[in-house]
Amino acid sequence: MSFLINALKNFLHRMFQVLSLGKKTITNSLSIYVKHIGGRTLAVELDPTWDIKNLKEVVAPKLGLEPNEVKIIFAGKELGDEIKIEECDLGQKSVLHAVKIAKKTKLPQLNDGSFIEENEDLNSSKPLSETLDDSMFSHEDSSSSSAIIDKENSQSEASTSKSKVHFYVFCPTCKEMKSGKIRVRCHFCKSGAFTVHSEPQNWHDVLITKQITGTCENSPESCANVLSNREPTFAEFYFKCSEHTSLGEEDGAVPLDLIRPNLRDVPCLACADVCDPVLVFPCTEGHVTCLDCFRQYCITRLTERQFWQHPELGYTLACPAGCPDSFIKEVHHFRLLSEAQYAQYQRFGTEEFVLRSGGVLCPQPGCGMGILVDPGCNKVACINGCGYVFCRLCLQGYHIGDCRPADYDSNSNSEGCLYNVDPGRALEARWDEASRVTIKSSTKPCPKCRTPTERDGGCMHMVCTRAGCKFEWCWVCQTPWTRDCMGSHWFG
Amino acid sequence: MAATRRLQKELGDIRNSGLKSFRDIQVDETNILTWQGLIVPDNPPYNKGAFKIEINFPAEYPFKPPKINFKTKIYHPNIDEKGQVCLPIISAENWKPATKTEQVIQALVALVNEPEPEHPLRGDLAEEYLKDKKKFAKNAEDYTKKHSEKRPAD
Repeated sequence: MSFLINALKNFLHRMFQVLSLGKKTITNSLSIYVKHIGGRTLAVELDPTWDIKNLKEVVAPKLGLEPNEVKIIFAGKELGDEIKIEECDLGQKSVLHAVKIAKKTKLPQLNDGSFIEENEDLNSSKPLSETLDDSMFSHEDSSSSSAIIDKENSQSEASTSKSKVHFYVFCPTCKEMKSGKIRVRCHFCKSGAFTVHSEPQNWHDVLITKQITGTCENSPESCANVLSNREPTFAEFYFKCSEHTSLGEEDGAVPLDLIRPNLRDVPCLACADVCDPVLVFPCTEGHVTCLDCFRQYCITRLTERQFWQHPELGYTLACPAGCPDSFIKEVHHFRLLSEAQYAQYQRFGTEEFVLRSGGVLCPQPGCGMGILVDPGCNKVACINGCGYVFCRLCLQGYHIGDCRPADYDSNSNSEGCLYNVDPGRALEARWDEASRVTIKSSTKPCPKCRTPTERDGGCMHMVCTRAGCKFEWCWVCQTPWTRDCMGSHWFG
Repeated sequence: MAATRRLQKELGDIRNSGLKSFRDIQVDETNILTWQGLIVPDNPPYNKGAFKIEINFPAEYPFKPPKINFKTKIYHPNIDEKGQVCLPIISAENWKPATKTEQVIQALVALVNEPEPEHPLRGDLAEEYLKDKKKFAKNAEDYTKKHSEKRPAD
C-alpha cells in the first residue's frame, strides 16, 4: 500500500515537473499510446522534437519506474535515448511499447568495453524507417541491391546517399493505394513488444514468414515455451497506412510489393514515359510500367477475359512482355483499378473459378450465380440465388427430354395468357433482340468452351482466345482442326 | 492516353531513323491512331514498285496489337485481296506491348521480300509459289507493274 502511495506521489511530482517544463515546448503535438507489458496503456501527448529520453521521463513515472529502467520498443527496434521522435515514422495514435529492463543487463564495468557496447547500441537502436532504404527493396534478391543512386546525393544530406525507404500499401480504410509504413510484431503472440536480431534486407525477408529472428519482450518465457525451443522466436512484419490516423493495432494494410520508387528512372514499357512510382513485374527482367499503363493493361486484359485463374494465386495477370513465371502474386495490386472495374474483376474471377471447377452460371438475366453441379445431373436449380431451374446443357428452363433448338420461341405460352399477340411481332419486339441476333449471326461458339467467336478474316483455322481454352478448331466444321480441314477448306 | 504518348514517341523515332524501306509516313494530326506509309521492297519481283499501307492502332495500344492493311493491290501469298496481312508479330497470341512499330514494319518488309508459303492467306498463290516459282515471279512482276505505286526517286 505504501508503495502505491509512494509511486503516486512520485508520479504526480514528475508530472508536475514535466508539464511545467514541457508546456512551452509542445507546439505541434503528437498523441500516441504507450503500451506497458503489464497491460496498461497510457495516452501520451508528445512533441515531435523530443527525443526518446524525454519520452522515458514522461512515461516511466506513470509506470512507477525510473526513466533508466525503461526501454522503448517500436517497429522491432529498441529506440536509443537520443533518437528524435520525428525520426521514428510515428503517426497519430501510434503505439509504442515500454518494457522494464531486465536486471542482468547492467552497465558494463570496463571503460573501453562500455564504449564499444554503447556504440553498438547506438547503431541498432535507430528506428527501422531510418535504417532501411529503397535500394534494398528494389530487387527480389539482396545480391544486386548495392546500386546507389547519385541523384539522391545532391538532394538529401551529404552523409546519407541512400533514400529513405518508401512502401506502398492498399489501405482497406482509405480504399486506395497509399504510402505505408512497416511494423514488426512477434510471430507467435502478435505482441509489438518485439525486437529483431537483424534487419530485413529485401522483400523476401519481409513477405515470407519466419525469416528474421528476434526477442519477444511481451512474455519471452511463454513464447519460448510454446515452441519448446524447437525453433527461435520469429518476427512478423506487417504494414499500416501512413495517411490516416491509426485506428488501432488491427488497422493494417496490404503491402503492394511490386509498386516501387523509380530509383533508376526506367521508362514505362508501354508509354515510354519515366514515372514515379512504377510497377515492377516479378519477371527476371523486372519489366516496368507506370501505374496508368498498368491500369490500362488490366482493363484491356479484363474486358477480353484474359486474366488467368491461377490455382494458388487466384485471378491474376503475368508480365505484359510475356515473360515466364511472372504472375502477380499479391492480387491486391488490382485494387489500383476503380471500384467498378474491381467489382468486374471479382465477378469474372468468380465466374472463371466456377467454370474451371466444372460448374455453371445461372443464365437468368441479372443473376449469373455460380453453381457447382453433380456430374451427370442436368437439372440445375439456382439455390440461394434467383431460384431458376434450368437445363445444364441448353441453359434454357428445365425440361424433360432432348433440348430444343435455341431459336424455338419459349416465351409464347398462349394458353396461360389472356391477350393474344401476333407471334411474328412478338418475335421482333424483344429487348436486346437486335444484339442477340447480331451476336448469333456473326459468331460461332468455340466447340470446347462455347465462347461466341467472331472470325474477322484470315483462314478457317481458329484458336480460341479465351484465357485457358486455346482450343484449335475449324470454322467450317465446328470441330477440332485436322489435316483434312487444312487440305480441303483451309481458306474456305 | 498511353497510346497517344507512346505513338508520338514512336513516330518521332521512326521519322528520325530514316528507314529506306518505309517512307512517306502520313499521320492525321487529329488522329495519331492511323498511319499511312509506303513500303518499298528490295527483292524481286516487288522491287519494281512501292505499296501503300495503313496501320491502325487500337485505343488500347500498346496492350492490343496494331492492324495493318495494304491499300495497294499486291500479288503475294501472305496478303489477301482485301489487303489483309497475316503477320505473326502482331497476332493476338504473339503480341507484346514492348514491341515497337519499327520492329513491326521491319517484319512486314521482310515478309513482303520473302513470302512464307507455309502460312499463306492465299492458298492459290502459295501453291504457285511452291510449284512454279518462275510463273509466280512473272505474274507477280506484271501485277506489280500494273497496280503498284511509284517508287521514291532516291
